[in-house]
Amino acid sequence: MSTSLRPYLQCVRSSLSAALAISNFASQTSERHNVPEIEAASSPELLLNPLVISRNSDERTFIEPSVNSVRVSLKVKQADEIEHILVHKFARFLTQRADAFLILRRKPVEGYDISFLITNFHTEAMLKHKIVDFVIEFMEEVDKEISEMKLFLNARARFVAESFLTPFD
Amino acid sequence: MLLLDYHNVLIHSLLTERFSGSTPVSIDQIVSDFDGVTFHLSTPESKTKILISIQVKCFRELVQYGAQQVLEREYGPYIVDPEPGYDFSVLIDLENLPAEQEAKDDLIMRLALMKRNAMAAPFERAFDEFAKLSEEASRYTTESAPQGVKEGGEVMAIHYREEEAIYIKASHDRVTVIFSTVFREETDRIFGKVFLQEFVDARRRVLTLQNAPQVLFRNDPPLELAGVPGLQNVNDGTLSYVTFVLFPRHLTPQRRYENISHIQIFRDYFHYHIKASKAYIHTRMRKRTADFLQVLNRARPENEERERKTASGRTFRVQG
Repeated sequence: MSTSLRPYLQCVRSSLSAALAISNFASQTSERHNVPEIEAASSPELLLNPLVISRNSDERTFIEPSVNSVRVSLKVKQADEIEHILVHKFARFLTQRADAFLILRRKPVEGYDISFLITNFHTEAMLKHKIVDFVIEFMEEVDKEISEMKLFLNARARFVAESFLTPFD
Repeated sequence: MLLLDYHNVLIHSLLTERFSGSTPVSIDQIVSDFDGVTFHLSTPESKTKILISIQVKCFRELVQYGAQQVLEREYGPYIVDPEPGYDFSVLIDLENLPAEQEAKDDLIMRLALMKRNAMAAPFERAFDEFAKLSEEASRYTTESAPQGVKEGGEVMAIHYREEEAIYIKASHDRVTVIFSTVFREETDRIFGKVFLQEFVDARRRVLTLQNAPQVLFRNDPPLELAGVPGLQNVNDGTLSYVTFVLFPRHLTPQRRYENISHIQIFRDYFHYHIKASKAYIHTRMRKRTADFLQVLNRARPENEERERKTASGRTFRVQG
């Protein structure tokens, strides 16, 4: 793990753990509704201060807490065209399976690649520190996966090109 | 499977079976090949006479560049009038096959290579033209013809697919083959760029490839194609031009046959590997997603204890 990654992840971990102090809170505006306040944004007093944690200019995490839900958005590093397309494809792939992921938001918040929406119902049904673990592991693995896929693509391209040109000799 | 075959495997296996002396049956089969080429194998008159027809999108252009002669050379005695809707037909009489197994195999292979042979005409013509021009050029020295021999040779265009074409041009010291290729989507375009960059670099990087043809690619039409009608100059990156420069060592009569087959397969090979990479990356993402799900499921606490039963099936009841 590189030197700047560890404090970055540590910071996200503590901030997220703190933000996950959420409880059941029914809607104030319509009776018998119970919606994630961060999405509904119907009463400003229920939203807490959002927080951006940046590792560098193109890698950051955006945490938006509220009384009964927290929205976490990730921006994954995209150094070039290839990484950009790989991240895009991967994010699309995951969001299409959002049903299975429970806390995954179907659409990322604008300016980010992938978002999670954690509500009080999730923290009640699952262990809170394990949810945080999941988000942290996800951040680590996504970077690794993208760079591995990129390496694979380059290696394959090289091999394919050489194999095609060899018979000409 | 890394390199693609030059011949059509289906035709090859079908004819091998028919030629092996099994009882004749009637055939009526349409076989597709790369680049929108369609074959039709049928037995219209009797079960022993197989009619093989080929339909190529750009057959008119190919005839212009001498395809008829090439096909006559390859299939001479078997040629019949083309079947309606197709461009070229041969009729094989199973009762009138060459006797030796080797000659039979050779015939099967030649028939399976029909697409390759039809497309080979402009290449052969360019290679011949190169031979003529280099002969001419060798008569001049740099003094007697300071500008060099005039860049000769017309550009032969083969529009073998809807939006893609091969352009071939012969000069006195090389033959240039240019493929124009279209990328349907953004991912293909970027993957294609990575692959093409490796084609360009391979020659410089690997010592054993020093003698391979030079490869260049760009998104606007290369200068060789200046003045060729029907070029679209859409510079949005969807259209790429890949140039192969074949040097005299590739054009010798001994290497000629192999090299024509090999360069023809470039476009299919290239796109095949782009698709294969996409498929691999997809399976990889699928696996990674499953891993992530596993991590998330760890966050769920163990299920509460289910109702316990004794071996005989009796249950415990909580005393109220």
